[in-house]
Amino acid sequence: MTETSAATAGTSAELLLDAVSKSYGDNLAVRSISAEVPASKISVIVGPSGCGKSTLLRIISGLDNPTSGQVRFEGDPVDGVPEGLAMVFQDYSRSLYPWMRVDKNVEFPIKHLPAKERAERVRFAIEEVGLTHKEKLYPWQMSGGMQQRVAIARALASHPKLLLMDEPYASVDAQTRADLEDLLMRIQAELGITVLVVTHDIDESVYLADRIIVLSSPPSVVAEVIDVDLPRPRDHIATKTDQRFVEIRSHVTRLLRSKEPAATA
Amino acid sequence: MTTQQHSTDQPHVPLSAPESEAVEERDAQPAPSTRRERAGLSWPVKVALRLVVPAAILLVWWLVSTSQRMGLYVVDPLTAFDRFVTDFLSADPSRFFLGDATYDHLFPSVGRALAGLAIAIVVGVVVGIVLGISPVLTGLFQPMVHLGRSLPSPALLGVFFFMFGTGDLPKIFLIAFSIVWPILLNTIDGVSSIGQVRAQAAQVFRIPGRDVLFHIVLPGAAPKIFAGIRTSLSLSLILMIISELQKSENGLGYQLIQSQRNFDYAGFWSVLIVLVILGVAFNLIFKFVERRALAWHRGATQQND
Ligand SMILES: Nc1ncnc2c1ncn2[C@@H]1O[C@H](COP(=O)(O)OP(=O)(O)O)[C@@H](O)[C@H]1O
Ligand SMILES: [Mg+2]
Repeated sequence: MTETSAATAGTSAELLLDAVSKSYGDNLAVRSISAEVPASKISVIVGPSGCGKSTLLRIISGLDNPTSGQVRFEGDPVDGVPEGLAMVFQDYSRSLYPWMRVDKNVEFPIKHLPAKERAERVRFAIEEVGLTHKEKLYPWQMSGGMQQRVAIARALASHPKLLLMDEPYASVDAQTRADLEDLLMRIQAELGITVLVVTHDIDESVYLADRIIVLSSPPSVVAEVIDVDLPRPRDHIATKTDQRFVEIRSHVTRLLRSKEPAATA
Repeated sequence: MTTQQHSTDQPHVPLSAPESEAVEERDAQPAPSTRRERAGLSWPVKVALRLVVPAAILLVWWLVSTSQRMGLYVVDPLTAFDRFVTDFLSADPSRFFLGDATYDHLFPSVGRALAGLAIAIVVGVVVGIVLGISPVLTGLFQPMVHLGRSLPSPALLGVFFFMFGTGDLPKIFLIAFSIVWPILLNTIDGVSSIGQVRAQAAQVFRIPGRDVLFHIVLPGAAPKIFAGIRTSLSLSLILMIISELQKSENGLGYQLIQSQRNFDYAGFWSVLIVLVILGVAFNLIFKFVERRALAWHRGATQQND
């Protein structure tokens, strides 16, 4: 476990958060967050509920503006939704389009492409998430886990450089969750995309991450950035019984338990 | 070692996760357009149940027509039906077996009702979507919408005559103006029912405005829009009659007034029969269209119940 100072002026970073803050009226939700999200890695933002994780993702994706500070994606300041970004939302049942069948949902973001390429991407994305032969179902005919796979396929079909996921597995059962975590790591390794996951689950953060960005309680700052060097591919039994996994998990838990916000980054 | 066993799982093969096997697609309804039977009732029973109330009404009608006082104005069902056949039907195949009254009164009436309905749907949906998308515009126009909705529109017929002369136009506009409100309010409601997350998803995937409108906003609001149209549909028949009570040369409303003035009670009751048939027909067509357009919605709501 190596700790890096968050604000180092890195150039290899895919995504750079520079003193991002957000307040809603008088309510300061995010005090000041600086962090680097390295390219082609899985980074995980972990923090207590209400600490501004979703707010941060909305700012990163250009859906919302920071009150102060700046987000840079591939060096360019984010102003509006940048190209090459895809998002998987927590609530699949609210983010998929129930009037479209699975293949149409996946195809929708790439409607502007030529038919042949579109069909190829849809087929590939659906195969990646293991939903071949389920293309003609409606989302509501599927289990929660399968719907979240559709949402992941939809994100993949758009060939993102950066995949954002907001508590993607918070509404599925434990077994499905474990499967989807492995699915994410396999796809990330295969396609080499940059992934930024938000979660409040400490186990999940350590299991998935190359880098963990721990947020303090609100108004949030970065409590610590932890680079996780557990070997890949990871496995739910072997990795989670690994001594280093246990250490990192305890460390993150302690960080999140401590009441007062940690030192300002 | 478990790590090793895992790495054999890693290659390209699409995941055959236990979950995708175990949790099969829920209740695989093959074609969502298939009609769902109401639980427990076989269709002969259902048909019989539906006939009970009309039969009771016919019985009461007949009883009233035989009473001393009321019988003067209420002709018995058979006479009325007989009159309906003579007026509205014919034996002429070249006229599609339809009678003079059908061509002279029924068709003009229905034509105006449908024209009014078409205008109301277009205006209601377009304005409703614009208002529904923009909270600012909703705020601005909400009071006006509620004012318009509560105006006693039949009383405005005079104004419409004044503005549009005496032909079909004032009648059509009266119908449209009176029935646009349920569609408008439901469309506004429907647009906001689509949900913030779906809108954000569209934004993140940089869906062009046109596609957002036609593939997200319209289908998403469609269930509510259809509910509004259903209300407006029955209102349109009422307004159709009201618009023909004054300054009219044809139409079912005109017929109602004329037959009353001429003490032609059989004629009066035969028009009422036509109105019932019309109401049922409108409803059937509506249900047919709705079933096809909203197949996904019935499935989705059944799942969530
Ligand atoms: N649109 C909004 N308007 C006002 N306050 C908001 C809004 N969105 C989030 N907040 C506030 O910002 C804080 C962080 O919220 P959120 O980002 O959803 O946290 P998390 O995702 O970590 O649970 C909360 O206190 C919440 O009340
Ligand atoms: Mg959240």
